[in-house]
Amino acid sequence: MSADARGWRVALLPDALINPPERLHALLPDALAVLEAAGYGLLQLPAPGTQRLLLAVIAEQVAEYAHHGYAVAALGVRGEAGQGLHWRPLAALLRRHGVALPPRHIIRVQEDTVAEARRLAEFLAGYDLPPEEQRRWRPGVRGER
Amino acid sequence: MTGNAPAPPAAPGIGGAGAPAAVRRIALIANCLLNQNAKVCQGAHYRGVVGPVVAALRSRGYELQQLPCPELAFAGVRRWWAVYEQYDTPAYRAHCRRLAQAVAPLIEGYLRRGDEVVLIGLDGSPSTGVRFTSSAPDWGGRPNRPQDDWQILPRPGIWIEELQAELARRGLPALPATGWALDMGRFDEAGSRRDLEEFLDQQAAGGTRADGAASP
Repeated sequence: MSADARGWRVALLPDALINPPERLHALLPDALAVLEAAGYGLLQLPAPGTQRLLLAVIAEQVAEYAHHGYAVAALGVRGEAGQGLHWRPLAALLRRHGVALPPRHIIRVQEDTVAEARRLAEFLAGYDLPPEEQRRWRPGVRGER
Repeated sequence: MTGNAPAPPAAPGIGGAGAPAAVRRIALIANCLLNQNAKVCQGAHYRGVVGPVVAALRSRGYELQQLPCPELAFAGVRRWWAVYEQYDTPAYRAHCRRLAQAVAPLIEGYLRRGDEVVLIGLDGSPSTGVRFTSSAPDWGGRPNRPQDDWQILPRPGIWIEELQAELARRGLPALPATGWALDMGRFDEAGSRRDLEEFLDQQAAGGTRADGAASP
C-alpha cells in the first residue's frame, strides 16, 4: 500500500450535477471535473421525489465524516426543487445525528458555465475545517494546507 | 467468477411494446470510486474522484449512480483493514441487505424502464469486490499482520453478494459487472483502465464478456 492520498473533503451533490438532464446540459458547469481538480470526493444525492431510505443512508455517512475530521459541503442548483439537495429532510436527518448543517454553495443555471465553474472552484478551494481540527484528525497536517 | 447475464435485462415489463425509445446507460458504481475518503486508512489512491473511471463511463454515455459504502456506514471511516472472512457475519450481511433494500427500488426502476445497467465494483475489496475479494481466514485480534499476509480469491465481496441477492429476490437478472482493481495489492492504473474500457466496449457490442458477479 502506498501513502494515503485522500483529500479529507467531501461534497454532497444533487443528481442533476452528476447526470444533468437535457434541459440543463449547456447551462451547468462540469461539477465532477471541478471537484476532481479540487481534490474533493462526492456523495450523490438521489433524484427528487423518492428514496427516503437512501437519503437516510447518506445522512449516516455524512455524520461519520463530520464526526471524524472531514470537511463536508453541499452544492445545490438554483431553481431545482430543494436546490436538488432534499434540504429539509436531509437537515432533519443530520440534526438527528448531531451534525451541523454543511455550508451550501448554490450553482446558478446560466450560459456562462466557465464563470460558474470558476465560482465553484473558488468556493471549494476556500473551504475546509479550522487548522486545529485538521491537526486533530489528519495524519501529517501541521496547520497549513 | 462465473459470467452471467451479459445481455440487456429481461425482467418482466422490460422492453417490448410501449418501452421508451431512449434507452439510458446507467453505471452503478462503488461509493469510493467517486469518493476516496471512504477508503480504509492507507487505501486511498486518489484525493477524491477516481477520474479514469468517471472518464471511461461518461465518454460512453453512462449516467452515474453511486452506491452506498457498506463498510463506512458499518465500521466507520477509521476502521481497520479487514478481509472477507471478518465481514462475513450475520450482522454485517443484515446491514448490507438494508443498504441493498435502499438502492434496489432505484435499480429496479432502471431495469423495468429498459435501461442498460452495469455494476462497477472494486476488485479485491472484502465488500465491493466483483471478480475478486481479499481473504485471510486466520485474521483477527490485534491488527498487526505483516504486509501481503492475505490472498485474493475469485469471488465477490459481501456487499456485492447481498446486492445481487436482493435483485434476485425481486425477480431481476444479475447485473453485468466488473471491478476496478484498486484493492488487489499492487494497483496498476493503466491495466485497470484497459480492463474497464474493454468491459464497457463489449457491453456496448452486445455483452460478449461477462465479468459479472455470480448469481446468488
